Amino acid sequence: MGQITLSQVTKRFGDVEVIPPLDLQIDDGEFVVFVGPSGCGKSTLLRLIAGLEDVTSGEIRIDGTEATDLPPARRRLAMVFQSYALYPHMSVRKNIAFPMKMAKVPEDEQNRRIEAAAKALNLGDYLDRKPGQLSGGQRQRVAIGRAIVREPAAFLFDEPLSNLDAALRVGMRLEISELHERLATTMIYVTHDQVEAMTMADKIVVLRAGHIEQVGSPLELYRAPRNLFVAGFIGSPRMNFIEGAEAGAHGAHTIGIRPEHIEVSDGPGRWQGRIAVSEHLGSDTFFHVHDTGLADVITVRASGEVGLRHGDTVALTPRADQIHRFGADGLRL
Amino acid sequence: MSTKASRAAARLMISPSVILLLGWMLIPLGMTLYFSVLRYNLLMPGDNPFVGFENYSYFLTDPGFTAAIWNTLALVLGVLVITIVGGILLALLLDQPMWGQGIVRILVIAPFFVMPTVSALVWKNMFLNPVNGLFAHLFKALGLTPYDFLAQAPLASIIGIVAWQWLPFATLILLTALQSLDSEQLEAAEMDGASPLSRFRFIMLPHLARAITVVILIQTIFLLSVFAEILVTTNGGPGYASTNLTYLIYVQSLLQYDVGMGSAGGVVAIILANIVAIFLMRMIGKNLET
Ligand SMILES: Nc1ncnc2c1ncn2[C@@H]1O[C@H](COP(=O)(O)OP(=O)(O)OP(=O)(O)O)[C@@H](O)[C@H]1O
Ligand SMILES: [Mg+2]
Repeated sequence: MGQITLSQVTKRFGDVEVIPPLDLQIDDGEFVVFVGPSGCGKSTLLRLIAGLEDVTSGEIRIDGTEATDLPPARRRLAMVFQSYALYPHMSVRKNIAFPMKMAKVPEDEQNRRIEAAAKALNLGDYLDRKPGQLSGGQRQRVAIGRAIVREPAAFLFDEPLSNLDAALRVGMRLEISELHERLATTMIYVTHDQVEAMTMADKIVVLRAGHIEQVGSPLELYRAPRNLFVAGFIGSPRMNFIEGAEAGAHGAHTIGIRPEHIEVSDGPGRWQGRIAVSEHLGSDTFFHVHDTGLADVITVRASGEVGLRHGDTVALTPRADQIHRFGADGLRL
Repeated sequence: MSTKASRAAARLMISPSVILLLGWMLIPLGMTLYFSVLRYNLLMPGDNPFVGFENYSYFLTDPGFTAAIWNTLALVLGVLVITIVGGILLALLLDQPMWGQGIVRILVIAPFFVMPTVSALVWKNMFLNPVNGLFAHLFKALGLTPYDFLAQAPLASIIGIVAWQWLPFATLILLTALQSLDSEQLEAAEMDGASPLSRFRFIMLPHLARAITVVILIQTIFLLSVFAEILVTTNGGPGYASTNLTYLIYVQSLLQYDVGMGSAGGVVAIILANIVAIFLMRMIGKNLET
């Protein structure tokens, strides 16, 4: 239960068309991630699905039934907001109980579900505290707890981790993934952090200005980006783009090569350049190579410690089978 | 402001205003206390002998005293109920996006800028007058006999007038509080299946609690001392029907030139106001803590 279909959905705010006609199919139990640059309409799309905004035209179906005009409460979806949106004057227990109280779930059933959620999310110790007395990560768990007890057809998350620090983010990422494994409920997750997208998603939807640029599994998007935008957006650090003669030699307008697919050495190689910046992460080293004559800067990844420094001249060799070719229209060849 | 030096400096800096305020309050208070135990009537010059609590016993046994206490409480409570219920409703209405919002908001706030005497006169002569008032015309148009509000229901009429003056204040405070409510909380409640009524009951009302407390405290201070509206409209009458404590003190002291009696009344009023204040803080003061 939790199949969502959007057909020809559009959304305008006044004269501005934020979502041009859009089709999307989300299958039961899938973990779908919406990614895209800021302002591309991710939140708007999520709110359309939730029913917090009305669609301008088009149709939304949930589990095969028309839901376009249903009020949010009757779509059986639960949402976790970026600001958590906990009710500040209620204790954690009351926050979690609120949706059940509204649905008039019997008291003992309420308690049973609260206990279950508290156990799953480690909320036990602070059920009687107010949200103001919790840390960001704990608040996030409470917000998820409030969503779980409704036993919804699908969960909607709008950048739920963006207010947390890096370490906590990694932890919560895993917790949400585990939750998905356990509940096997459809989840739609909005983020602009592509590490989150790559690690959590069954299916990534890349958006730009309300358009779907590509839909696919993380590895599909990584291996075969459909156009320059997706190629540049997925992968960290960004793919290097090279135009001109070098691209022409491959029969393309632009070629793309990921930093991890370029060999760096001080011996002879296909391209030459000078290291402008080197970033040592311990496990990896990133070099920003200038003066290659191909692009302003070429980013290269080397594993582990490499004895190369700022100012050194290096040779770069791309792995021939990992070169992505794009035409003048930006589409993959 | 946490080091010793900065705290000492802070104390030094605020001392002039504290001393000034203390003097400003303590000297009149001391004189009132002093006068309240003297027989001191301006119509009977001569020496002003010490009479102990005579003035107090006269004031407290005055036939108007109990009536004045009840009228004061009815006035304060009545106005509080009307302004808070009305203020919440108006704030909810003004919070909706609509055409001409700016102008409507200014119109709603306007009564607050009218002086109490003027607004009481306007009400008395233009609305409540049994011959020429708008209400009288309305009653006649409906085929009813005009009702003499100020004679038949003097206290209720004054409550109406004062509430009309204070409604904008309550609306303004509650509106700003309402606007500070995180819209995501309302959306979350909507997703959680709360009807508009439950959203109001469980999300908005608790959010407004602090603002409502502020309105109650501030208004109570001013409503305990309503005077101009009574003087201009009913003169406390008929009988003692619309006399509150402030007005009773005015009648006792100024109309009878009795400084001692007026001072005793003033002290009684101070004590009563403090009882009300303690009572209020006990009841709703916890809303003001973070
Ligand atoms: N209520 C609104 N009225 C008018 N324009 C809006 C409204 N809400 C969103 N927009 C516009 O719609 C576009 C998409 O907004 P949206 O919030 O969906 O972006 P987003 O992809 O979630 O961005 P971010 O990553 O920054 O959260 C933006 O250009 C925004 O200005
Ligand atoms: Mg957003």
